Amino acid sequence: MIELSGITKSFNSGKPNQFTAVDNVSLTINPQQITVLKGPSGSGKTSLLTMIGCMARPTSGRIFLHGVAAAVPFQQEGVDSVEITSLPERFLNDIRRSTFGFIFQQFNLVKGISVLENVMLPAYPTGERRSDFRDRALDLLEQFSISRHAGQRIELLSGGELQRVAIARALINNPAIIIADEPTAHLDSKLSQEFMAIVGRMKGEGKSVLIASHDPIVFDSPLIDRLVEMRDGAVVNSGSPR
Amino acid sequence: MRRSLQFILFTAVTLTVFLLLPLHARNAQHHREAPVPQLQSLHVTDLCLATEARYTRHPAVADSHAPFQEHPLALEHFPTGALILPNIPGRDTK
Amino acid sequence: MKRTVERHLNILEFTLASLLRRRAKNLSLLAMYLLVIFMLASLQFFVTALKREAALILTDAPDMVVQRLTAGRQDLVPDRYGADIARIKGVTAVRPRLWGYYYDALNGANYTIMASDDTAAPPGAAIGAAIAKARNLQIGDLLPLISYDKSPVMLEIGSIFPSSSDLIAADLIVLSPADFQQLFNFPGGQATDLAVTVRNPKELPTVAAKIASQFPDSRPILKSEIQRTYQSIFDWRGGMTLIVLASALLSFIIFAWDKATGLSAEERKEIGILKSIGWETSDVLLLKFWEGLVISLTAFLLGVVLAYGHVFFLSAPLFAQALKGWSVIYPRFQLVPVVNAYQLAVLFFLTVVPYTTATVIPCWRAATIDPDAAMRY
Repeated sequence: MIELSGITKSFNSGKPNQFTAVDNVSLTINPQQITVLKGPSGSGKTSLLTMIGCMARPTSGRIFLHGVAAAVPFQQEGVDSVEITSLPERFLNDIRRSTFGFIFQQFNLVKGISVLENVMLPAYPTGERRSDFRDRALDLLEQFSISRHAGQRIELLSGGELQRVAIARALINNPAIIIADEPTAHLDSKLSQEFMAIVGRMKGEGKSVLIASHDPIVFDSPLIDRLVEMRDGAVVNSGSPR
Repeated sequence: MRRSLQFILFTAVTLTVFLLLPLHARNAQHHREAPVPQLQSLHVTDLCLATEARYTRHPAVADSHAPFQEHPLALEHFPTGALILPNIPGRDTK
Repeated sequence: MKRTVERHLNILEFTLASLLRRRAKNLSLLAMYLLVIFMLASLQFFVTALKREAALILTDAPDMVVQRLTAGRQDLVPDRYGADIARIKGVTAVRPRLWGYYYDALNGANYTIMASDDTAAPPGAAIGAAIAKARNLQIGDLLPLISYDKSPVMLEIGSIFPSSSDLIAADLIVLSPADFQQLFNFPGGQATDLAVTVRNPKELPTVAAKIASQFPDSRPILKSEIQRTYQSIFDWRGGMTLIVLASALLSFIIFAWDKATGLSAEERKEIGILKSIGWETSDVLLLKFWEGLVISLTAFLLGVVLAYGHVFFLSAPLFAQALKGWSVIYPRFQLVPVVNAYQLAVLFFLTVVPYTTATVIPCWRAATIDPDAAMRY
């Protein structure tokens, strides 16, 4: 479970061009559910996601991760909550690597190297044995039916195949939480539906999924558990579980 | 074998050869051929590096103005004159 | 510990994949770098070995050589000078030397002819290996030389100097004083120059001064001057050395410039992607470090090894060509290998370190960007 308490993110504070991306948001995200953040661009969805995903720090407020202790190597015995906002950079990075998997709007895959290598990339700096994560990567490619593309460069793949590579990459370190920012922005309806189906499967495997989207195929999908509406950096409707 | 191990292996091999070079050199120096006695008795003053002109063949004992020997304006007549410097007295203040 | 090793290996793996992506560009970069190091190391090996050889050979040089000058040019020295010099205090021996040059019209070659009355040597003329090769001669053959009155002087080849002594004798013909005088119509009672031996080497300058004052037209040349000629012979001020050094330096500046002027937008984006998928700043910097090291270390090691082979196994054909000039007879540079660790270390620090640094430093800023910036692409 992710608990946000009074999260604010503002840029250029004190200066005349001060801009508040996220304004005093308090929210609880339940585990093993699909939560969608809905809102127009500029509503603070992306900023909120980056803060939850340990990629940026809020200007004020606290974020707690409950129940993710197993993934955190330095965690004290018996305590299963982590308050990530005050953690030093290194620990924050460790948590990010082991707890979260990211799917970006533009996929953000590395050109010129193979599909398999792209999927394995997040595991490289962890120091894990190559054969171990290579097997996992091949399994994931199999799972998403793109094994035959394993050795190909990503420039040769279609949009739908790229989407699946991006998802596979997000799963390589076996994260508990998947974060996706506008994942269907560059996909047609059919592929968007496929994406939601994959998300449903991930939930079935016990993962939590957090999606920011203004695509109706996403936020109107019957698969999602909770819809949070945002506008101008604040939560206007924290949505009831369906 | 994966790429990184291939590279490490390759580098290890070249590094080994690189480190063996001084050993090879030292070995070659010890097994240096003995000089020909007849040549030793000649007490030569110069190495035979280039045989184009007197001042490149025997730079140690050439005339001090030898580079200009052929023609007053001919600064250089033979290519090796550009490579083998004349022994100008006082040039090296050692 | 094992995790660290795995981490390095994994990042190295990505480095190699990354370099192989732009295979042509990186291979040519490696080739250029290799060439620069090859040239520099070859030059270093060649010059050091040659200087060492010179030092060894010239330990046998005479303590002092006395020439005679007429109108600024070298002239013959009368034996009388030799007798007078022998009487100077400190001089133990004076040996008149008969030597000169012979131009062989048949092949346009210059030979150095020296007369020697060494009775221990085999009879007949002794010639250098290069002459034997140029004129296709073997022991027992006759070598006809044209003397000054156009009559032939037939020399029977008694011995051929081995190719390993080329640096002394490649163009040398050693004959008896009688043959020498016949060949050049050399006047009796004269010598080309005098080789003077002195009891106490420290007294050389004093003796030289005495000779110069006693014989104003004489030019004494000390052994130290002879030796110094060869220590500064391939000075960086000289033509070949300067050109090689200058071009190497220029190439280097070009490489480093290309690297140091920052990253392309593509590289920056890629670093952003890596940060967004969980790579830390230190991981990215390690990546760039490996990138610089892979190229520079490979180029350095291979360049030096190939240079060693070039100079000491192949007898430095590249430099031999340059040193040949218009010579028809030239030595094989079969140099005894010398490795100067200090010089190699300097080469390492002047090439590998700057290049690796120039690869890592410009990435510093890009590597420290916040990962959330990647979300906004």
